[in-house]
This record gives sequence, structure tokens and C-alpha cells, in this order.
Amino acid sequence: MEKNIQKVRNIGISAHIDSGKTTLTERILYYTKRIHTIHDVKGKDGVGATMDSMELERERGITIASAATFCEWQNHQINIIDTPGHVDFTIEVERSLRVLDGAILVLCAVGGVQSQSITVDQQMKRYNVPCLAFINKCDRSGANPTRVIQQLKEKLGHNPVPLQIPIGLEANLEGLVDIVDMKAMYFDGDNGENIRIEEIPASLQDEARNARELLLDVASVVSDELTEAILEERDIPSELLLSAIRKATLERKMTPVFMGSAYRNKGVQPLLDGVTRLLPCPSDVENQALDTENDEAVVTLATDSEKPVVAFAFKLEDGQYGQLTYIRVYQGTIAKGSTIVNVRNGRKVKVGRVARMHADQMEDIEAIPAGHIGALFGIDCASGDTFVAPGLSLTMTSMFVPAPVISLSIVPKDNKSQINMSKALNRFTKEDPTFKSHYNDETNETIIEGMGELHLEVYVERMKREYNAEVTTGMPQVAYRETITRKAEFNYVHKKQTGGSGQYGRVAGYMEPAEEDFVFVNEVTGGAIPTQYIAACEKGFRLCLPKGPKLGYPVTGVRVVINDGASHAVDSSDMAFQAAARGAFLEGYAKAKAVIHEPIMKVVVETPTEFQGSAMGLLNQRRGMIVGAQDEGVMCSIEAQVPLAEMFGFSTVLRSSTQGKAQFTMEFSTYKQVPQSVSEELIKKVSESKKHVA
Amino acid sequence: MLKKDLILRNPLSLLGHDTDDILPAGSFGAVLARAGVGKTALMVQIALNAVLRDKNVLHISLNDPVQKVSLWYEEVFRNIAKIQNLQGINDLWETILTHRFIMTFQVEGFSVPKLKERLTDLTAQGIFFPQMVIIDGLPFDNPVDLLTDIKLLSVDYRLPIWFSIRTHQREIAEPDGLPPQIVSVSDMFDIILQLQPEGKDVLVKALKGGPSEAGHPALFLDPATLLIR
Repeated sequence: MEKNIQKVRNIGISAHIDSGKTTLTERILYYTKRIHTIHDVKGKDGVGATMDSMELERERGITIASAATFCEWQNHQINIIDTPGHVDFTIEVERSLRVLDGAILVLCAVGGVQSQSITVDQQMKRYNVPCLAFINKCDRSGANPTRVIQQLKEKLGHNPVPLQIPIGLEANLEGLVDIVDMKAMYFDGDNGENIRIEEIPASLQDEARNARELLLDVASVVSDELTEAILEERDIPSELLLSAIRKATLERKMTPVFMGSAYRNKGVQPLLDGVTRLLPCPSDVENQALDTENDEAVVTLATDSEKPVVAFAFKLEDGQYGQLTYIRVYQGTIAKGSTIVNVRNGRKVKVGRVARMHADQMEDIEAIPAGHIGALFGIDCASGDTFVAPGLSLTMTSMFVPAPVISLSIVPKDNKSQINMSKALNRFTKEDPTFKSHYNDETNETIIEGMGELHLEVYVERMKREYNAEVTTGMPQVAYRETITRKAEFNYVHKKQTGGSGQYGRVAGYMEPAEEDFVFVNEVTGGAIPTQYIAACEKGFRLCLPKGPKLGYPVTGVRVVINDGASHAVDSSDMAFQAAARGAFLEGYAKAKAVIHEPIMKVVVETPTEFQGSAMGLLNQRRGMIVGAQDEGVMCSIEAQVPLAEMFGFSTVLRSSTQGKAQFTMEFSTYKQVPQSVSEELIKKVSESKKHVA
Repeated sequence: MLKKDLILRNPLSLLGHDTDDILPAGSFGAVLARAGVGKTALMVQIALNAVLRDKNVLHISLNDPVQKVSLWYEEVFRNIAKIQNLQGINDLWETILTHRFIMTFQVEGFSVPKLKERLTDLTAQGIFFPQMVIIDGLPFDNPVDLLTDIKLLSVDYRLPIWFSIRTHQREIAEPDGLPPQIVSVSDMFDIILQLQPEGKDVLVKALKGGPSEAGHPALFLDPATLLIR
């Protein structure tokens, strides 16, 4: 394990689906001698790319889970997290970005900056991850790196500066001109492993000089030394220029742009040089934790292996050896045999095996020092947990986990499947905080919940493949919510006298709409409700929330204020006040004009311009509100807000009406009130299903 | 109620026109200024003024992506609401969104037939029926042919169209105060407003039509919010 922290890089490779990041990772592993042959995504050889370790991923040619791997390049150790490209798995991307110090943003030279690149980029901004851009697929017909650079500027607000220009494009892509060293590079050999350096072709001399001028211009902003050298018209050594570029990159003032074609083995080695020269090492990045014993005060961590341990479990996987926990150590060292504490539940854990991973293969190591990423075996935890040395009370900032917007009922086909299904669910819910499951007593079905149709589909598929659990699925259900729209008063007496000790409690007050999910305010004065029963009242109100009186959906956005009541010296009890609060809630709710809210998704459709009209039509038919249409030459993107309930099966319809040329991404945006007609339909449906159950 | 408040207090009404619409159907208006003075902000205020009266506005931008244009609207709207001290504006914002459609083009990809095709896409499928158009960022290098075509379109669809026109610092204005790029086509415009920095403020000056002809007080853009005050 590399001791010099300056020579460690933790990087991610993020991009849009199909921009070729798995192929790029595969080439990186090949050139760094981690693998000895190259397999391709959807490979004809049936092996598949090394980083796509799940069978399902290989079959679909997409990367679902982020596998961590490491490699060495020019005496630097690089830990790579391969991140998923589909927006439905965004939590995976977010988790990966949390533990990375830098990233490569892979863009397709033909497709350019697509909607998912925008989402990923926003996430990178949130975690302040410096990045390099790699414009891949320069060998494809229609490749236009200049346009992609322009899009990086316009769509993502980067300050992209090319460090290379291509020698030839499309089928004629021969090599690259390095603007820093002002040399031409050609990639010879069967797999492009031999780099031949030559003079820049005469036809590209001017272009190269202009590109270098632009580069000097941007880099000089952060380096006085470089500015001086330019003003004095001295020769500028590559080292000086690179250190200025590095500084600008770390401050996110510049995005160095590399290019090439991973598939054609062109441009990968210079990109690796870029990673080691330009992206930050762990000690360049300031990481912070929260002190749970000191009102969550922010504590800055030191990338020092001698200090007490603080580490973050960012990914769980169920491998052949049991649960595998991917972990990033921020401070201290996690060594075999040491004891660490899970901050979430306070449990002490003894570290058994420690390993570093290479996709689905592993290598045992003695310890993971500060700044490194590794894996632990047999540790029971959930993803997002923080591990610390005994005595510390620090937690890494918790990540924002959105609430699920879609649910699906699943029924196991037989007894064996039932057992396997519960094993699988147990694993998946630990792995992915956006995936939830529960058992519905009324319908006797297991319900799984997640962030989109595809998200749930993939888990059902994984249950079958990895756990041999055959399940039948119901229709996807949208996570509707109920809320109130106006203030309403309540004054409810709960009174029962049926022999034995009676029950008595009166609760009065009002409820009104609120921004928060639920707020309970006690304004009772003079002991109208004795203090010891206030908690029972709150509990009574809270018990009404999971199942709203209108249609049985969870109630949110309610502020309940109690300001009066009455009790009885003998007959009042916690139970009586809970029942009174429930009665009061129902009384108030009936008057508070309750409405149904539904999840609204932000949908971005990317389509060739000739299908713009039909794509807009499809969105419009689905109660979509089109925000705008952006014309980008041959392609255009349409942004709309569409209710999730209308989006089922959209991908099939979109494909069939655009000859398969359009694609879309979808992410949760907000909850909005459903229109009257839809609300009536929902009421009808719910009452029918109630009859059915009865 | 909120809507009415905003309409009543909207200082744009001071632009000096008795009718709701500043521009009649089929006519052109222009906002002229140097870069960064507030053309887009003023255009968005004009659009919001129409949207608040339940008019559908098609905003065409040749500079900015959809997201940025959308942000302009939100920013200007929230600023207006803040200045007017209005609460509970979220629902109103939702209704505004249904009256606005943003379309962006690359400068080199913009043409009248293409715009016509897009308009047909929208209207034929009942997606959106624009009642006013804003075109922001159209280069006015050689405007006669292009504007003649757009004029025909505006008459066909009975649309008032506002343009933003970028002027340059060192340009010498023609005797009637019009910058050179609009002189050849000024006949097509009913209203021409110029934003002119004056000290700390930006003066909204009518070069053709507009408030000063109607004898109204001078209007200024607040340099902090770029709102008319």
C-alpha cells in the first residue's frame, strides 16, 4: 500500500449511459497491467468488461453498482470507482462522489453533454469534486470535440480548456497533439500500448499554437509565476504550466479536456498522466465530520494514518465470502485485528479480513491507511455508516436520501423463493437507502419501494438471478400523499363508561397546512390537559399520519396545535388521550379540505429534431407541463414536468414513435396536488379495492 | 387576489399604454441596450406582465439554455413579489409556468421556417398557443430579410413580438437617436425602448412609442434587481 499520500488518487468515472466509461475503465486497467486482455461491454467473447461484475450488468451493457478497483500508474496508486450511468441509480453516484477526491467526466464526442451528464455534474458541484473531462468516441462518425467543449461551457458552466487536439477525426483519428509539451502522440501496437512521440504535423501547427495560448491564458490566472514567465516571454517549462493547471483544476476554475477513443485504444495513457498530475491527492482535499457529542459541530479531519480512525462505509456488496463493505478511511488506519465502532448504533466491531478490490476479485492486505479505499469482510452495517476509533464520536455528514416515489407488490412463487426473497430484500435495503421494503398486512403482499420503474425492475431481476427467488410483481403504485389545504378546528371528547374503569379525555385546538411533514404544538394552559398526557396526545395524532382518512395515503404537511381540553381524575389515561387525539384528528381533517398530492418527475427527452413534435405530443398526453425545448443542431432536448403516474411504459412508447432514436431521463422533482378528475378516479379505485379486500 | 395585486402594482403599466397589451397583435417591439445592462430582465418583466394577465408567452432564446431562461423568470418573479411584500406566491408561480413556454435555438440554427415548424408542433397538438413572443439574442447584423419573414409570421399568428437588440458602446447613433443596426428596419417597430445607464441607475428611454411620448414620468431599472421602478 502506497505510504506517500501525495501519490494516491481516489477518482471516479462518471458519465451518461453509453458514453463508454466502462470501456475506458477496462483500458485503464489494461494499461496499468491489472488485466492482461481487453474485454468489451456486451462483449462478443462472452466475458464482458471487468468492472461490470454483475451478470445483469454484463447482459444489458450497463453498469449498475459501483465497483471499486485500484491500479498503479507512474508510481501512483489510483483507486477507481466505476459509477452507474443511469439516473435511476443516482444514489450510487452520489455515494461514490462522496468518497472521491477527483473525477473524470466522460463525454461522448457525438452525443455531447446529455441530461445525465448534467445531473452527475450537479452532484460533483455539490461535493466540490474537481474533474477532468475526457471526450471519448472521437473515432465515431459525427464526432465533434469542439461542440462538446462548447456544451461543457454552455450547459454545465465549466471553464473547459483542451490540453489536446485530435489529429484527424472520425475514422481518420490518428493520434493527439499534446498542447502542454507541444508534441504529437500516436498510439501504436495491437492495443495502442506503444506511444510514438513526433513533431506536430504542419497542418495543425497553427491550431496547436492557438490552443496553447488559450491554455496559458486560463492557467496564468491562478499562477503569478506563470504570468511573469509569459510577460517576460521566457520559455515556459511544462512543469510550471502543469502546476498552474493543477491549481486551477483543484479550485474548479478550469476543467482540463482530454480526448481520444478508448475503444480504439487512443488517448487513454495521457488521460492517466492527467489523473496523476492534475487531480488531487487525499491530503489536498479538506474532509469534515460532525461531532455528535458537541451539537454536531464541524470537525476537520487530517489525512494522517497515525490519528484515531474515521472511516465511511459507502457501499455494501454480498459476495461469495459474505458481506463486503467498501470503505474510505479519512483519518487513521484500519488494520486487521483492530477494533472500530459503528457510530450509528455504537456497536464495537473487530476487523477481520481487510482487502483491496479489483472489481470482483480481491487481494488481502494488512491495513487501509488514511486516504485510501478498501474493503472489509464480515462487518454488519448499512451503507452510509461511519466507523471510528473507540472514544471518538464523529460522523461523516449524512447524505441526502430522497423518499421513494414508486412501489410495487411482489409475491414469491413458492416457499423456497419466499426464503430467498427475504434474504435478498434484507441485502438490497442495506445496500441502497433509496430502496425500501415492507409487508402489507391487509393485502398479504410484500411491497418494495424505490426511485423509478427501472430501479425496481433491476432489483426484481437481481432477486431472480442472484438469489434464485422467483416473484410475481403487481402493477407499480405511485406514492401518493394526502395533505390539508385550510385551517380547521377540532374539539373532541373521548368518553367510555362500559363497566370497570372508564376512559375520558377531551382534546381541542386546530390544524393547519405546514411546510414540514408534521408539527405538533402544545398551547394548553392552566393544566386543562395534565402535562403527563400531552405526549399521549401527540402520539395519538402521529398514529393517524401513516394512513390518511381521505384515501389511506400518508398524511404530510400538517401542523396540529392543541390549546384546550379536559381530563378526569379517575378515568383519564394515556390510552384515553391517544384515542381522543385520534378522534380530534379525524374531526379536524374532515373540515380541513384534504387533497391528494402526487410525485412529479422532471423528465428530459433527448431526440433528433425531426421527432421533436411527436415527443412533445407524448409528454403533453401524459399531463406533462413542457418547460421548454432546446434546439442543439441535430438533436434537441425537451424538458417537462410530468406526474409519475403517467410515466409507466413511457420508454416503449417513446422508442416506438421515434424509431428508437430518442431517450429520456427522469428524476423526482416535487409533490403537487392532483387535478380534480384524477382525484375522483383515485377515490373510485380505492373504494373498489376496498370492496375487493372485503 | 395575489395576481391582481401584482398586476396593479406592476410599474410596467407606467409604460404608458391604456390597454393591457403594450404591443398590439402582429406588431414588433424592441429593447435596446449594451451587453449586461438588463435587456433580458426587462423582456422577462414584459413577459411576466402578460402572463399575469393569463396571456401565453413563448420565450425564444438564442443565447441561453432553457434552464437559465427559466431561472431568469423565477428570479424576476420572486424579486417582484419580495419588493411588493407578497406571501404565498408558490401557487401563483405554478400557474405562471403553464402560461410560459421556452424555446431555445442555436444562433446559426435559427430560421423562420424552423420557427414556423415548431409553432405548428405546439399548436397542432394543442400543447401551447402563444399570444405573445419574446425573441432574445437574435443578431441584428443584416436584419431586413429575416425581420420581414418574422413580420409575416407575426401577422399570420396575430402575435406581438418583442426583440432584444444588443448595441455597442462606440456606435454613433443616427440623428433620430437610433443605433445603426435598427435604422433600416425601424419602420417595422411600434415601440423601441433603450436602456441607458445614467449614473447608478438605468434609464428606460423610449426612442419610439412608449412613455415619454405619452408624457409619463421617466422609468428606471433598479441596478440591483434590474426591475423597473
